[in-house]
Amino acid sequence: MSHLGTQISALIDGELAGAELDRASAHLAGCPACRTEAAQLRQLKRELSALGELDSADAVTRRLLAMTHQNGPVTARPLARQPGRRARRRRGRYVMWSAMSIVVVGVGAAAFGMGGSSSGGNEPQITPQLEVFDMQHAITSGDVPFADPSNTPAKPAARASERTPVKASPRASAEATRP
Amino acid sequence: MRRRLGLLVSAVVTVTIPGVLAVLAILGHEHGIAGTTAISAAAVADESAVGPLPLAPASTVPAVRNAVATVERTSGGPVTVYSDEAASHQARAMHMLVLAAAAGQATSYQGVEETRQLGVNGTVTVSSQVWHQGGGLTLIRTLSGATPVVSYDAGDRSPTGVFGVTSAQVALLGKHYIAAYRGAGTSSGRPATIVEVYRFDGSLAARFWLDARTMVPLRREDFDAADKLVSDELFTQVRFGPVTERPTAATAESPALAPSSGSAWVTASSPATQVALLAKRGVRLPGTALAGLPLYAAGWSGTGAGQVTDLEYSDGLSVISLFVQQGTLAASMAGWQPLSLGGYRVYVSGHSVTWTGRGEVYTVIADAPPQTVAEAVSALPGGGQPGLVDRLGRGFDRLAHLVDPFA
Repeated sequence: MSHLGTQISALIDGELAGAELDRASAHLAGCPACRTEAAQLRQLKRELSALGELDSADAVTRRLLAMTHQNGPVTARPLARQPGRRARRRRGRYVMWSAMSIVVVGVGAAAFGMGGSSSGGNEPQITPQLEVFDMQHAITSGDVPFADPSNTPAKPAARASERTPVKASPRASAEATRP
Repeated sequence: MRRRLGLLVSAVVTVTIPGVLAVLAILGHEHGIAGTTAISAAAVADESAVGPLPLAPASTVPAVRNAVATVERTSGGPVTVYSDEAASHQARAMHMLVLAAAAGQATSYQGVEETRQLGVNGTVTVSSQVWHQGGGLTLIRTLSGATPVVSYDAGDRSPTGVFGVTSAQVALLGKHYIAAYRGAGTSSGRPATIVEVYRFDGSLAARFWLDARTMVPLRREDFDAADKLVSDELFTQVRFGPVTERPTAATAESPALAPSSGSAWVTASSPATQVALLAKRGVRLPGTALAGLPLYAAGWSGTGAGQVTDLEYSDGLSVISLFVQQGTLAASMAGWQPLSLGGYRVYVSGHSVTWTGRGEVYTVIADAPPQTVAEAVSALPGGGQPGLVDRLGRGFDRLAHLVDPFA
């Protein structure tokens, strides 16, 4: 039995027609060796086609780079590096915002802590000792004490009296003395 | 890359901390800062008035006249804005007021003083019986009201003048007003010499009647910028000479009136230091002046339980005493009238105003026109009980003071 020989390549490339195509197809159906050879040739052809497409993509890239060189000194960087750089930039922004937030929150917390009462939050309740203050005002202003007797509280609140060492007399008909 | 991030963080921290501090401190105290700025401007304007006083027509804008005087003074030339006649009036009137201040201390007298003052809550009238031994003891007993007023200073100190005419106040007056002799008159049935005091814009600020024989003030009237009478003090009865009807039982009657050793109030050597100490505590006050009145004296009184700071502001006519103590006002303020003043809810009694602002109780006692009192109140911290914003504001104040102790 005579094998297909060089005709097998023409068959794979689709170049046979008519009686030649019928004869080659009939032989291929009855000859395992030629079928194997034909299968290998088809596989090889597919791989070669894939290589051909890659070459054309590189050609396009080369043409684009050539165009940018013509318009000015632009440094061409591999496109594959862009995603990593963007991620790092984004990370830097996160760090900056985090730092700022920490600073603001930290300063705010410090201010809140320092803004509390120095008496530990237990603010003394005060009724101003008007008689005492009015006497001090009279001394510095050179005028008589002016506290309105009908409005002046008879006695300061307990907390206030603890805080102010100058005692005001609650006695009626009292008089202020001065040297 | 890591180094670059580190540098970035350092830069952010370096720029952010002072920036945030400054911005938040300003935002937390927009009210106080605004007042401080206004007052500072007034203080600067006042500064140019120190020294020989220029006098110009009433129509002249004070700032312009002051500027002219300052320029002339700086150039070494005479201040020609001040006419010879006006200079003579000023010198004579100021001399009379100086004599009046000295006479109020050195002359013995007794009588009844009546004071009518327009306050922020209406007119208040007070009558006081006064006995003064020349160079010695003075007794004051308030007559008006259902219950006689009780006023006593444990340090045995007392007013050193009559109707606010003291050597200190006269010295201040000479820096902020123009005095002029206005001839003879009468008051309390006695012949008197009249001295008037004018503002730089030419408006009348005060009028004094000085006893023609002793020079002790017999009457004083104060006017606001709109020529409205805001205060009138006079002797309804007065007699000069040795005190004959002086009450002697008072000291024995009341143990509280017994003389004590030393004063409970300590006078600060530098008023500015007291303000700085308050700032360290987070109490931000207008620096050198309040409602246009310069800070001229300060003191404090207190024990281990707390302290009251007293700041005195005066231009020679108006006097404001500011008392600051840590705490909040008592829930019940018997005898005080609630009022809205300067944007705050305050309590008023006579010529005293008190309120809570950011954890401090402020009490203002004023011999000043109501507008000046309102301006003073609004320039000080307020707003009742301290809230979150107040607490943050006070905290930023304290932080800022740590960063810059002179802030």
